[in-house]
Amino acid sequence: MIHLIDVEKYYGQTPVLKGINLSVERGEFVSVMGSSGSGKSTLLNLIGGMDLPDRGSIKVNGRELSSFSDDQLTAYRRQEVGFIFQFFNLLPNITVFENVRMPLLLNDIADSSGVRGYLQRVGMADKTDRFPHELSGGEQQRVAIARALVHAPEIILADEPTGSLDTKNSRDVMDLLAALAKEEGKTVVLVTHEDYIARFSQKVLRISDGVILA
Amino acid sequence: MSLAQLVKLFVIRNIKTERFLTSLSVLGIALGIGLFTSIRVASDRAISSFESDIRGLTPYTEYEITHTAGIDFDESVYRGVRSLAEDSFPVLRASAYFPSLGESADINGIYTIKTLGFLRSASGHRFETEAFFRDLNGIIITKRLAAAHRLKKGDSLPVQIYDSLRELKVVDIIDAPSVPSQTVIMDIGNFQESFGMAGRLSRIDVAADGETAGRIRQMLPAGLSLEKKAQVIENRKSLIASFRYNLEFISLIAILVGVFLLYNTVFITVVKKRTEIGILRGLGADRRTVVLLFIIQGIVLGTIGSVLGIGIGQAFAYVSVAAVQRTITSMYSAITISDYLITPAEALSALLLGLAISLAASAVPAYESSRIQPTESSREGSFESRYRRRRALFSCIGFIIIVAGMTLSYLDYRLMPFPFPFLAYAGILLIILGFTLVSPIYLSFFIKIMEQPVATTFGPAGSIASADMQGSIYRFSVALMSVAISCSLIVSLLIVIVSFRNSLTRWITQNISADVYIKPSSCRSNFCFFPLSRDLEQELRGFPEVAGIDRFRTLELTYEGRKIVAGFGDTEVARAFSGKRNSGSATRFRESAARQEAGISTYLATNYGLARGGTLELRTPRGPARFLIRDVFSSYSTTSGFVYMDRRWLTEYWGLDDATQLGIYAREGVDIDRFIHRLKASLSPRYSLDIMNTRELRERVLSIFNRTFAITYAIELIAVAVALIGVVNTLLALVLERRREISIIRYLGGSWGQIRRMLMLSAGMVGITGIILGSLIGGIMSVIFIQVINKISFGWQIDIDVPVGYLSAVSAALFLTTLLAGILPARVARKVDPKKFISFE
Ligand SMILES: Nc1ncnc2c1ncn2[C@@H]1O[C@H](COP(=O)(O)OP(=O)(O)O)[C@@H](O)[C@H]1O
Ligand SMILES: [Mg+2]
Repeated sequence: MIHLIDVEKYYGQTPVLKGINLSVERGEFVSVMGSSGSGKSTLLNLIGGMDLPDRGSIKVNGRELSSFSDDQLTAYRRQEVGFIFQFFNLLPNITVFENVRMPLLLNDIADSSGVRGYLQRVGMADKTDRFPHELSGGEQQRVAIARALVHAPEIILADEPTGSLDTKNSRDVMDLLAALAKEEGKTVVLVTHEDYIARFSQKVLRISDGVILA
Repeated sequence: MSLAQLVKLFVIRNIKTERFLTSLSVLGIALGIGLFTSIRVASDRAISSFESDIRGLTPYTEYEITHTAGIDFDESVYRGVRSLAEDSFPVLRASAYFPSLGESADINGIYTIKTLGFLRSASGHRFETEAFFRDLNGIIITKRLAAAHRLKKGDSLPVQIYDSLRELKVVDIIDAPSVPSQTVIMDIGNFQESFGMAGRLSRIDVAADGETAGRIRQMLPAGLSLEKKAQVIENRKSLIASFRYNLEFISLIAILVGVFLLYNTVFITVVKKRTEIGILRGLGADRRTVVLLFIIQGIVLGTIGSVLGIGIGQAFAYVSVAAVQRTITSMYSAITISDYLITPAEALSALLLGLAISLAASAVPAYESSRIQPTESSREGSFESRYRRRRALFSCIGFIIIVAGMTLSYLDYRLMPFPFPFLAYAGILLIILGFTLVSPIYLSFFIKIMEQPVATTFGPAGSIASADMQGSIYRFSVALMSVAISCSLIVSLLIVIVSFRNSLTRWITQNISADVYIKPSSCRSNFCFFPLSRDLEQELRGFPEVAGIDRFRTLELTYEGRKIVAGFGDTEVARAFSGKRNSGSATRFRESAARQEAGISTYLATNYGLARGGTLELRTPRGPARFLIRDVFSSYSTTSGFVYMDRRWLTEYWGLDDATQLGIYAREGVDIDRFIHRLKASLSPRYSLDIMNTRELRERVLSIFNRTFAITYAIELIAVAVALIGVVNTLLALVLERRREISIIRYLGGSWGQIRRMLMLSAGMVGITGIILGSLIGGIMSVIFIQVINKISFGWQIDIDVPVGYLSAVSAALFLTTLLAGILPARVARKVDPKKFISFE
C-alpha cells in the first residue's frame, strides 16, 4: 500500500535520505528504528505528504505523491492519514473533545458522534471537557491517538509517540495503539529509537546513514 | 548571569526577532504621544502668546491699566499716573490684518523715546528714530516677521486696521527676543493722528511697587482698573483651559490604544518565551528578575515610541498650532503663534508619559511571566484557562466599573464640583476600562451566537475559527478593544461634530434677521471690539434701500473675575423690522426695551448658578448695575460667557453710543445683492469692511466652525490609523503565537486556504464585535461629551443628532480595513514551516 523507491532527500547540500526503499502492506504495523538525527521524522513527513522527495518515488495506494498538488496533498492527509507526535501537539486552547473533533471539522463532517466513542476507547471519556494542559503526558497522548483515528484514515504515522513518556505510560500507550490499529486494520508506520517500542510491531526496520538496512 | 546579559539575551533578542510587531506597537505609541505632544505644544504656545501679548514691549512692568470694558480711554489719565510712577508706558493698540501677508498682528503705538530706549538695551540696536518720527505711517517690525515674509526697510505694507485699509512703511527691523514676532510698533503720536484716535490710549504699562500701585488705583477714574499682569495672564489662561483640556483628553484616548498595542507585544514575548523563562527559573532566577526583564522590555519599547513620538509631535505641531490658532482667533481674539519647536521640558514630559504608559502596559504581562514555574514546559493554555476561571469575576467588576463611570459623569452633570469636567473625563476612562473587562464575555457570547451561521457559511474554517477564538478569548479581546476604542473615538467625535453643526445651523437661522451684515475686515474673531466710524453709519443712512440699522456693540467685561462678552443691540430696530422673519436673541425683549433686562448664555447660567428671573450684577463705570435675567440661551460664538442687553444700557452705564457690527434691514422689495454691490462700490475705497448677505454670513460662521474642528478631523484620522495598527498588530501577534497550532492544523490536513480563511474570519469577527462595542461606547461617550463636558466647558446647547448614514459608512470602511488588516497576518501564516514547529516543544 505504501511503496518508497530510491527516495532521496537533501537539506541544502546535506543528504538526509540517500535512497530509501520501503514497502508497507495494508494493515501492516511497521517500526523504523534509528538513532537521533538519522532521518526518521523526515521519512514520516514524506510519507505523510508534508514534504516531497528530491528524487525517487513515493506511492500510496498506487498514486505518486510527488505528482500531487499542495491541495491534493492536503486532502490526502486530511482523509487518509492520522499523525501522532512525540510532543502530542494537541491544540492548547480548546478542550479534549474539540481536539478530537478537529479532523472531522477539517473534513467538513458535521456529525461528531464518533468523537465520544473514540475517547471512550482510549479511556478518556470522563475528561472530554478538560483542556490539554490539565492532563498528564500519557493522557494527552491517548487523546492524540483518538484524534489520529477519528476520521477513519487508512494510515497512521507515529513519530516517537512514547518519546516523552515514562516506561509505564509508554507501554500503555503502545498497547492501546497496537490494539486499535489491529481492530480497525490500520496501516501503521512508527518511528522510534527505542528497542522495546519497536517490539509492538509486526516488522522492524532500521535506518542508518540515510538508507534502510535489511 | 548578570541582569545586563539577561536583558541582552531576552529583551534585545525579542525586539529583534519580532521586528515587525515591535515596530507596529512602537509606531502606535509614537502616534499617540505625537498627537498629545503636538496639542500640548499648540496650547502652550497659545498661552505664551497671550502672555507675551500682555507683558507687552516692557516685560518688566508688573501692572497694567486698562478699561474695564476693554475699550480705549482718554490719555489725560496718564499725567497723573506718571507723577506717581515714572516707569509707565502708554500704549495704543489695535489688531490689524495684513492681507498681503495673510497674517494678523497687533499694532502698538508707543511713546517712542521712552520705550525704544528700553528696546535698544534689549536688542543692542540703534533705531532710526528720525525716520520713525517723520514717517506718519512708519512702523518697526520684528526680525522674525521680516524674515518670514522677506520684508526689508522701506517696504510698503497694506494693512486693515479699524474699518479702513492703509499703507504702512517699514522703517526699521528689531531683533529682540522678548518682543513677540507679531508685534508691529508705531509712534503713538503718529498712530493717533493717522487713525483719528487723537487722545486715546488702550493701556498703560506700569512698573511700580505695591504701595504705589495702591495709590495709582486710588486716583484712577471710574471705568479704569489697575491689575497685576500675572493676574491678567491667569485669567486669559483659564479662558482657553477648557478647550485645551478637551483636546488633551481626546489625544489621551488615542494613547490608550497605543497602550493596548504595547501590552500585546510584551504579552506575546511572554507567551513565546515560556519555556526559556521556565529554564531560567530552574537555573535560579527569581520572580523579580523575570518580572523586571519584561518590564524593561516594555520600557525600552515605550522609550523608543516616545522619542519617535516627540519627532512625530514636532511634525504634527505645525498642523495643530495652525488649528489652535484659528480656533482661539475666532473664539477669543486674534493670536499668531510663530514658535513651533518642542522645548526640552515638553520633550521630557512626553518621555515621562511614554514611560508611564509603557510601565502600565507591561505590568500585566510581566506579572504573568512571574507565574511561570521553573522547568515549566508547554503549558501554553494556562493563562487562558486561569482567566477562564475568573471570567465571571472580571465581568462583574467590569460592569461595576462601567456603572461607576456613568455615575461619575452623571454626578458631574448634576453637581459640577469643579470648573472643569474632570469627573466626566474620569467617567469616560472608567467606562472604557469597564468595557475592556467585560469584552471577553461579550466576545464569547457573540461567537456562540455566530457559531452556527459562520459554520454553515464558511464550512470547517468557520467552525475552527469559532473554536479557536473561543479558546483564546482573552487574547482576541485585546484586539477587539483596540478596534473598539478607536471606533468609539470616531463615532463619538462624529456625533458631536454633526450635532453641533446642526444645532449651530438652526441657531444661525433663528438669529439672522437683518438683510445685510457689516463688520470691519480687520476683525478676524466672532466678536469685534473696535468701533466702526460714525461717518459710516451716517453714510449708510443715506442709502434709499435702508429701512433700519441695528447697531450692535460688543464689550469685553469682567464678571466674577473672568472675561465675558457683552453684546448690546438695538432691540427697537429689531422689533420693528424682524417680526415678520423670526425671533432671534435680538427680538427677545420685544415688549420691554425700557426695562433693565438681560439675556445670558447657558455658560453663565451653569457656571455661576444664574437662572431666568434672577439678577445679573455687572460692574460698570457708573457703578454696579443689576439686570433682570429675562432669557437664557446658547451662544456658540464664544466659549466664555455672553450677555445680551439693549443699547440704551450701553449709553446709560458705559457712556458709549458706537457700534462694532451693523445689521441692516432693507426696505421691502429691495434686491439685496444689488444693494450690497452698490454698498461695496461706494464704500470700498475709504473703508475696509466685510459686507455680507445672510447666506454669506451663515457660510462664514459654518466655515469658522469647520476650521475650528479641523483638529478633530486630524485626531480622527490618527485614531483610524492607530486602530488599523491595532488590528494588524494583535492579529499578527496571534499568528505568531499560533505558529505551532497552524502547523498542527496543517498536519491534520487543513489547507492554507482554510487557515487563511480562518484568520480572515477572526479578523472579521474582531472587526464586527469591535465596531459594535465601539459604537456603543462611542454613543455613551458622545452623550457625556455633549451633555456634561460641553455643558461644563462651553455651555453650548447641543441637540444630539446621530448621523446614521455617515456612521454606517464609516463603520463599513472600518470593517473593511480590519478585514484588510487580516490579510497581512494570513500572509505571515503562509510562511510558517509546519515541520519546524511540530517536533519540539
Ligand atoms: N528543515 C531542515 N533543515 C536542515 N536540516 C534539517 C531539517 N530538518 C531536519 N534536518 C536535518 O536532517 C537530519 C534528520 O532529521 P530528522 O528526520 O528530524 O531525524 P530524526 O527524526 O531521525 O531525529 C538531521 O541531521 C537534521 O539536523
Ligand atoms: Mg525525529
